Amino acid sequence: MTDCKNRVGRRTGVPALRLKGTGLLLGTALLLAGCGGSPTASNTDAKSTSNAPTAAEKFFTKTNKTPDDARRDALVKQAEAEGQLDLYTSMTSDVADAVTKAFSDAFKVDVNVYRASSETVLQRILQEQKARFQGNDVVESNATEMFALQTEGYLAAYSGTRRDEVSEAGHFDRWTATRYNLFAPSWNTKKVKKGEEPKSWEDLADPKWDGQLSMEVADSDWYLTLYKYWEKQGKSKDEINKLFADMAKGAKIVKGHTVQGELMSAGQFAVTASNYSYLVERLKATGAPVAYEPFVEPVIARPNGLGLMKTAKHPAAAMLFADWLLSEDGQKILTDLGLTPSIAGANDPLAGVDVIPVDVKELLNNGKVWSDRYDKVVSGGEVVDQ
Amino acid sequence: MLSIDHLVKSFDGERRRRRTAKGDDAQARVFAVNDISIEVQDGELFTLLGPSGCGKTTTLRSIAGLERPDSGAINVGDRTFFESRPGKRSINIPANQRGLGMVFQSYAIWPHMSVFDNVAFPLQVRPRSQRPAKHVIAERVTRVLETMELAKLADRDATKLSGGQQQRLALARAIVIEPQLLLLDEPLSNLDAKLRESLRYELKRLQRELGITSVYVTHDQIEALALSTHIAVMNEGNIIQLGKPRDIYGNPNSRFVAEFIGTSNFISGVVRGREGERHTVETTDGQLVLDSAAALPAGTEVIVSIRPEAVEVSRDAHPNGVANEWSGKVLTRAFLGDAVDHVVGVGKNELRTRSNPETSIEPGTTVFLRLDPAKLSLVPVG
Amino acid sequence: MTTVTERLARGKSAGRRRWVPTPKFLISGAVAVVIGYLAIVPLYYLLWGTFFDDRGFSLDGFSRAYGNSRIGELVTNSLWFAVGAAALSLTIGTALAYLNVRTDVPFKGLFFAASIIPLIIPGILYTVAWILLASPDIGLLNSLIEPVLGPGFFNVFTVWGMIWVEGLHLSPIVFLLMVAAFRSMDPSLEESALMSGASRWQVFRRVTVPLVRPAIVASILIMVVRSLESFEVPALLGLQNGIYVFTSRIYFVLRTYPPDLAAAGALAVGLLVFAMIGVALSNLVGKSGKSFQTITGKGFRPRPMELGKWRPVMGGMVILYFFFTVLAPLAVLLYTSMLGFYRAPSVEAFQSMNFDNYRELAGMNKAVTALKNSLILGVGTATLVMGIMAIAAWMVVRSKIPGRQIIDQLAFVPLVIPGLVLGLALSFVYLRSPIPIYGTLFILLIAYCTRYLPYGMRYAVTSMHQISSELEESAQVSGASWWQTFRRVLLPLLSPGLVAGWIYILVVSFRELSSSILLYSPGNEVLSILIFEQFENGQFTVLSALGVVMVLTLVILVAIAYKLGAKVGLRED
Repeated sequence: MTDCKNRVGRRTGVPALRLKGTGLLLGTALLLAGCGGSPTASNTDAKSTSNAPTAAEKFFTKTNKTPDDARRDALVKQAEAEGQLDLYTSMTSDVADAVTKAFSDAFKVDVNVYRASSETVLQRILQEQKARFQGNDVVESNATEMFALQTEGYLAAYSGTRRDEVSEAGHFDRWTATRYNLFAPSWNTKKVKKGEEPKSWEDLADPKWDGQLSMEVADSDWYLTLYKYWEKQGKSKDEINKLFADMAKGAKIVKGHTVQGELMSAGQFAVTASNYSYLVERLKATGAPVAYEPFVEPVIARPNGLGLMKTAKHPAAAMLFADWLLSEDGQKILTDLGLTPSIAGANDPLAGVDVIPVDVKELLNNGKVWSDRYDKVVSGGEVVDQ
Repeated sequence: MLSIDHLVKSFDGERRRRRTAKGDDAQARVFAVNDISIEVQDGELFTLLGPSGCGKTTTLRSIAGLERPDSGAINVGDRTFFESRPGKRSINIPANQRGLGMVFQSYAIWPHMSVFDNVAFPLQVRPRSQRPAKHVIAERVTRVLETMELAKLADRDATKLSGGQQQRLALARAIVIEPQLLLLDEPLSNLDAKLRESLRYELKRLQRELGITSVYVTHDQIEALALSTHIAVMNEGNIIQLGKPRDIYGNPNSRFVAEFIGTSNFISGVVRGREGERHTVETTDGQLVLDSAAALPAGTEVIVSIRPEAVEVSRDAHPNGVANEWSGKVLTRAFLGDAVDHVVGVGKNELRTRSNPETSIEPGTTVFLRLDPAKLSLVPVG
Repeated sequence: MTTVTERLARGKSAGRRRWVPTPKFLISGAVAVVIGYLAIVPLYYLLWGTFFDDRGFSLDGFSRAYGNSRIGELVTNSLWFAVGAAALSLTIGTALAYLNVRTDVPFKGLFFAASIIPLIIPGILYTVAWILLASPDIGLLNSLIEPVLGPGFFNVFTVWGMIWVEGLHLSPIVFLLMVAAFRSMDPSLEESALMSGASRWQVFRRVTVPLVRPAIVASILIMVVRSLESFEVPALLGLQNGIYVFTSRIYFVLRTYPPDLAAAGALAVGLLVFAMIGVALSNLVGKSGKSFQTITGKGFRPRPMELGKWRPVMGGMVILYFFFTVLAPLAVLLYTSMLGFYRAPSVEAFQSMNFDNYRELAGMNKAVTALKNSLILGVGTATLVMGIMAIAAWMVVRSKIPGRQIIDQLAFVPLVIPGLVLGLALSFVYLRSPIPIYGTLFILLIAYCTRYLPYGMRYAVTSMHQISSELEESAQVSGASWWQTFRRVLLPLLSPGLVAGWIYILVVSFRELSSSILLYSPGNEVLSILIFEQFENGQFTVLSALGVVMVLTLVILVAIAYKLGAKVGLRED
């Protein structure tokens, strides 16, 4: 706060605001706006805090090494003493409700859930952390956002037997996959006769789907993964670009997988390239004429994961929640809701299905490049490789 | 009672220009009110008369406190409402602390209140210490409404009144606090002719009965003549003539006043001689003798103002021959109910005459005009 | 008229007694500070974030945002869409307001519903309802007229479709603004024109329209900016055929990581520039405000104009409008709310109808909290904003306070600040503020007040322009202090406009999502969050049920507001 005066003084010089008579107002507003540095400047504040381990971090480090039984008993005891858990998540509300209810039923801990889209969850945590506000203890969100949080240095290390149960593809630095969103083509069973449904990703480029295929406007993660997969299969860049261009030709571009699902079940189009399987499953459960099985392989899986906050106010509850969500009880709740848990149980619906994970790292490092390219694809423009 | 001393008010936009421009460019200012001074005695009905834009309304609004003059002073009784002179502390009492009554041109009756509430408002908004008790307010309002013959309509929506009733309501609201000074801004201009006439008399009666000193603004000379004890004729921010109605009508001091007050005929000429008050004037159409206190020497160029009713029209010449008898031809005739107007061509001039309805002469007829020397007035040229 | 500053100056230099702050000064000052604060915080955040990065001043954001070959197309689309939607809503809204207030058109009862319900239906829902109605493939309207005009006659996924949906959705705002204007206009002004031999249409065009010009100018301004800022319609309808506008672009820029606030801000600054040009223009046009004071102290009795042989025609148009804005979307919602999943109407579909979705809603424990919070926020925001704006409108229109136009412009700023940016700005400020507002309902209240400031301002200023200054002056001469004049004369006369604004803000507060989503905290959920969650869950049917419940709640609320408003304001016949 020492340089506060200087900053305020400098800010009043923002030229666009040099309006006669507003000086006083402006000054007041800026003073009230506080001295937090440029709102967009990257996270210098936060990084300075990440050097010394926080109390929560110390607790996590200690507990990570505690053997299973003792760990569980100690966590339950201390978590119930804490009594609260602040969870930020991008789970849809029905999932979030079911998960928190089950957790509160199992332990005497009240869960406060903030639920929003994954980008918003990320925005909020970034805001709070920069202001050193202890908003949440634990975060459960999409891979991209989890990766971002890890990069920012907000997540504490988490280990233990539960994490070990998760397959290697779900192990990330400082966060652990809890479930997968599966990208798979789906179709309206009234519009697509049995036997005519797409069998491979390449099928989607077939001109017979012109005007009948829908693509989501922001699925660049799916695009990237499929692109890389095809490259690995030995397709040339030109071939791959042509495949995507053919898909996009005449395709109906929709914003939001949910709307996409609704519109497909209403018959607005016949096939969706990259909807989430659980959304389609849910529509199917209400009786809508939609299907995604047999899977078009390889199924593209995007992990959703969980991480512990270094600034957790309720570290024991946070860790207990992580352990529990990765336990058989927790994973079963996800399975019951039609989701794909990260720890395959006995009746794994994906048994024998070829699954490839989204290349989260590439997405994070070159996400902008891929999303720009995907924008071009869906807007029907040519994609030229650099 | 009311004294206005060297009041000056320039237009807003102009004032800004003056402030930024360098040097003394007072000439460039456009004045709404240009240095006027007025004294109004107790119980008078003083009228500011003039065409629109002459500064009469600005003067009235300055008295009310709705405009802030540039300089000068306004005193009512022993209170100074406004004072701004170089080297002195300026005073400007806000409008709501001046305790005046005002009737607006549009009446400004609050459409969301009943008749009663409109009138009670000025009493209800007084500072708590001076506010009369509820029943006193009710009493006073009822009394005023009775005076105005509105008592039966007390509970009506103010918007559901006829034009005349609204005018009376506006007046009732203005006098309910028994103000020292009542300001009236063209209160009759929104009414039809018949109503205007009856309300004119009513207004005069009320003003007399209540004895409220009033300042009245109008552009209607008949209203001014009928109502006022004194009239100030204004033009372009200046007072041109100030006097009793009869003086102003009978002896306009300028062509502007003569023209503005009633319809006049003007004939230019040169004074040929004078005996006491009687002047002999040579005009293009013949000689005129007339009485005037002006006492102008021979050779002065003048305009003779001839009121239409000062001209007698006759088919026949006067048997004995009198002064100021001209002959001419009737050009047009207009029947006005209570009078007949003739326009008579005399030489190159046209004279408008007004006579009683029995005298009605076909256009084209040759007639004789006799001009009463006592009723003609001399107006200095310029 | 004395002004604050004059008195201030006199007090300092030559006052008879020591200058004490008058209520007028204190209240005006407080209002100016509040407006300035609400507007400048997000503006500052936006501008700072746009023009400055770690290394200081930079225009990189602009080059990232505008250095795109398709930017011209984007600007064209945005303006085309905004102007089209504004024109449509203005035509419909003004015509309906006129019919309602000034003529003997039949079915006046329908206007009430038609003016409110489209506002209540959230943008997402309204747009989806139109997809279900007029999509070339599954549109109900298309299947109805297919035998006559062939398949896919209506296509909602075009700029025209976007204009249609947005225009219809916005028309009630115009309607509300214009009703207040027409209601306060002296009918004799029109009658005199009619007597001069003008036809009805000439009277409307040559007399009526010029007289309500301030309201029209305000409407155009709000509509254009509203459409520029609209997100749901371009996102759901435009993207399908690759039609991008400013807002959909901003959305995509902001959702990347790290969020490119500079580029998003550069786009928002573009919107700001358009809006400022608009404000400047409308000030210019509205300059001659004096000649438009149509509420004079001269009483008038509004007498409806007889439409004669046109009455059935106009009645038919009212029905048509009612059908398109209210009945059809609402019917689709009602229909969907009783289905397990959406499907085209058929015997089968009707047989499957039930109330499961409503039952599910009733079982949702958050629903009650959300409804309560939305009510608190809606009523609180509407009351605060209209209260502040009544004073601000006086300052802008009537006072001679120097710099008053700046208040007007500041109050307009939030209109172009995207909701998400506002959310970021507020969380940025209040996370660092010593006042513990973050994580409470108050931060939402502040967000809503900021967002709806511009609407409140337009409603209040428009009404203020129409009150003759003599009504105020006569109160002053009668001895009323500034505050007494304001409370007893101006406020009641303003009330039709204030009530209209209040209703509008109440209704849109219920819908506010983009800033709420970032600022709400557990326990502080509001209805719009719930709607959004249902939407994300893919629960269109539950969502429709929620929409129906929301429409019903607000209709009741608004009906109460009208009744109360009529009591304090100008009585109508």
